[in-house]
Amino acid sequence: MALLEVKDLRVGYRIFEGTLNVLNHAQLKIDEGERVGLVGETGCGKTTTVKTILRVLPIPPAQVQGGEILYRGEDVLRMSSRAARELRRREITAIFQDPLQALNPMFTVGTQLRDILKESKAGRDGGRLTRREIERRCIAALQETGMPDPERIMTNYPSQLSGGMRQRICIAEALSREARLLLADEPTTNLDVTIQDQILRKLDELVDEKGTSVLMITHSMGVVRDLTQRLYIMYAGAMVETGKTKELLARPRHPYTQGLMKSVPRLTGEGISEGIPGRIPNYLEPPSGCRFHPRCEHVMPVCKEAIPSFYAVDEDHFAACYLFRS
Amino acid sequence: MPESILRVEHLKKHFPTKQGLVRAIDDMSFSMAPGDTLGLVGESGSGKSTTAQCVVGMYPPTSGEIRFKEESIGTAFKRRPKYVKGDLRIVFQDPGSSLNPKRTIKQILSVPLKVHQIGTRHDRLARMKDLLNMVELPADEYLYKYPQAIGGGEKQMVALARALATNPSFVLLDEPTSALDVSVQGKIINLLIRLRRELNLTYLFITHDLSLMRNVSSRVAIMYLGKLCEIAPTVEFFERPIHPYTNMLLSSIPVVSDEEEALKPKKVSSKGEIPSPVNIPPGCSFHSRCLAKNGRCAEDDPAMVEVAEGHFVRCHAALEADPSRFGSV
Amino acid sequence: MRQERKADFLATLAQRRRTLAKGWYKYSRNPLSVLGLVLLVLIVLAAGLAPHITPYPAQAGAYTDFKNAGKAPSAAHFFGTDRIGRDVFTRVIFGYRFSLLLGIVVLGLGVAPGVILGLLAGYHRGTWIETVIMRVTDVFLAVPPLVLALAITAMLTPNLLNEMFAIALLWWPWYCRLVFAVSSTLRNQFFVREAELAGASEGHILFREMLPNCLAPILTKMTLDMGIVILLGASLSFIGLGAQPPTPCLGTMVADGAKRLPGEWWSTIFPALAIVIVILAFNLVGDGLRDVFAVEEV
Repeated sequence: MALLEVKDLRVGYRIFEGTLNVLNHAQLKIDEGERVGLVGETGCGKTTTVKTILRVLPIPPAQVQGGEILYRGEDVLRMSSRAARELRRREITAIFQDPLQALNPMFTVGTQLRDILKESKAGRDGGRLTRREIERRCIAALQETGMPDPERIMTNYPSQLSGGMRQRICIAEALSREARLLLADEPTTNLDVTIQDQILRKLDELVDEKGTSVLMITHSMGVVRDLTQRLYIMYAGAMVETGKTKELLARPRHPYTQGLMKSVPRLTGEGISEGIPGRIPNYLEPPSGCRFHPRCEHVMPVCKEAIPSFYAVDEDHFAACYLFRS
Repeated sequence: MPESILRVEHLKKHFPTKQGLVRAIDDMSFSMAPGDTLGLVGESGSGKSTTAQCVVGMYPPTSGEIRFKEESIGTAFKRRPKYVKGDLRIVFQDPGSSLNPKRTIKQILSVPLKVHQIGTRHDRLARMKDLLNMVELPADEYLYKYPQAIGGGEKQMVALARALATNPSFVLLDEPTSALDVSVQGKIINLLIRLRRELNLTYLFITHDLSLMRNVSSRVAIMYLGKLCEIAPTVEFFERPIHPYTNMLLSSIPVVSDEEEALKPKKVSSKGEIPSPVNIPPGCSFHSRCLAKNGRCAEDDPAMVEVAEGHFVRCHAALEADPSRFGSV
Repeated sequence: MRQERKADFLATLAQRRRTLAKGWYKYSRNPLSVLGLVLLVLIVLAAGLAPHITPYPAQAGAYTDFKNAGKAPSAAHFFGTDRIGRDVFTRVIFGYRFSLLLGIVVLGLGVAPGVILGLLAGYHRGTWIETVIMRVTDVFLAVPPLVLALAITAMLTPNLLNEMFAIALLWWPWYCRLVFAVSSTLRNQFFVREAELAGASEGHILFREMLPNCLAPILTKMTLDMGIVILLGASLSFIGLGAQPPTPCLGTMVADGAKRLPGEWWSTIFPALAIVIVILAFNLVGDGLRDVFAVEEV
């Protein structure tokens, strides 16, 4: 049984002009201990997917129009809100792009870290942890993320620290919950590249150690290449290609993925392509069938009729494109 | 030797703040020939954006010289002659705020034309359409739109059209594509390359993206905490990176293929935090994170030395030891 | 060539129309805003056409008819007559004239200098220009408005003109502060910087780049302020410091009639209601404007 399975998810947002049909039969699967990447450009629905999994979508104006999200077999969308909260507290944890938003500026780092341990430990060891034990675990968590001088950091306020340090704290917070699944939504996009490298390597180490499953959401192909084993490419609310990360990046098959990969500047210096013609669709009146068809050079009549399902292009490599329907 | 189009000599820009003196640019020198595309690369606190801002005249330098076409322009824009303002233009990073949301594109483009009195009133409409065509936007439609109605990439193209409105010879590009998706970036970069050829432009390209510079620039320069570390022609730069910080940067780049992975320096990996520009370490400012440092590094600030044709490095250890120590390929 | 310019003119017009249509769409979503607008239009039309639509225009000002004094509301006199025989309904409509005039003049006199000073202070943030302007503004704001208005009108002869002048003097600091808040952040936006670097004049930057971005809060505030100005004007007249009788001013009417409560209630209640309605109308329109200018989030 997969740890997390998103099936046929459809989510929309009601706005005055109509409904934005963002998620269009989105699907993904994460097994226990697996690290999966979700790559897509701005507006493709990655963050909506994360919010729906965590049950933190603002409903209304958002509305779940269909589909299921199975966490260890249980449908997250049909759980009670208390159960969903327990899920967020114990099982699924998340880190986001802007650590300043995730961290409370009014409390010191120490207070925030301790708070998590105070509540999450009840029941785990059969009782509460002593203050000393909580303190010890907090310091250990910070040290694990490569933070220099953890004791002093515990007394600082988030605004006094650099972006990289704040993100390390968020990682420490997330991992100290001992959750099974970590959702990381663009965690290093705002960081300098040398700091990003350190943080990603550290994250790699930590999730490896704890056996945590990871869903890494980003717009950067390079970031997922080192960190994930499997990859989903997302476009306009649907997953268009999936497969083993390195294989997919080396041999992309879906026309959208191919267009993307050609646009990525390479260290080898072969120049960059003109990008993909056209614009992302208007979610108020999205194209019928495969939403990429207006921009696709291989478009066929069937593409406008219905959204394609995943067809195998290679071993463990699938593309949602009628070109591969055999 | 051809006349240099831009020459920066011992430029310093310090900002006094409550936390202390921010030494954003701390003695920087470089020059550019016409037709060059210099990629100025750095992370936060490097001073790369401040350099662009000083060159374009947003701030007067604290000390040092800026020469444009051999004439000194090292002052804030208010004091600069008008023709310089038309000849040296800038495209800013954030498409969201570089166009006035309450003005139509036609009004936005008309400003540089009116200020520099280009053409008569009647010519200007035609000129604006030309500009939009140059950046491959349908003129009749886009002239009357407001910035909110167009996408981020298109906004940057309008910003570029605005910059080109005065027939400049030099364009400063301050991270023009950092806020854009990679599929949009391609279009803009190719546009920039084409326009450079067609209009004989010189670009100073500020960015943090080394992979992008590998494909765009003719020379690359790395900045750290207000000073240049290394500067070299592109191919030479990527084949023989010498400075330890350059190597650290290169080894941190997330790449998408095995071929690229093979090109990255192996023995260096990123460590430490970037110090705040209020608190720059003494001697060589990079020494606190450097794996190759020696005794001199904490005390003496090294000087720029030419190690190969057009290739300059500022590092004690590099010059004293064998360059192959630092993981160059 | 002429063809092109014509096409340009039409396209610009089309864009303006689109902007207005979008604005109206956002405005009309709230029925109360529409109600406010309807009320306002009726009031303005009534005030404008006062001599032509009121039953007894001659009774608006100096007129006496003691035979008809103190008559209750009837078919002949919708709002009854006051103590010297004038038709209250007519006087109320004419009273609207003066209230609206007061509002327009005060805001006209007070808003423009406030906005200009605010723009200057925001653009020159961090220099002596900002300091001087904002400290002077602070001084004006420190005095309670009614007290200042009283002081000024008391110093000068109490009449409508001086009343307007006094209130206008009170009003500019609020606009200065409002515009300063917006313009000092605007000043650092890239599009302003770009205009500077391109060589645009300060006038262009203040009025063509920054001002359009300040219009939303200015217009909203002006609409809401109309109500406050009218009320302030009525209050001054109520205590006798504004327009003097026999000018039909709503505040004076309320004062005069108040002495006759509860007996001849119509000579106070109707003018008072008229004040309430006009202020309500402006407030509803102001709220509606705020909706129009609000940035939608998706």
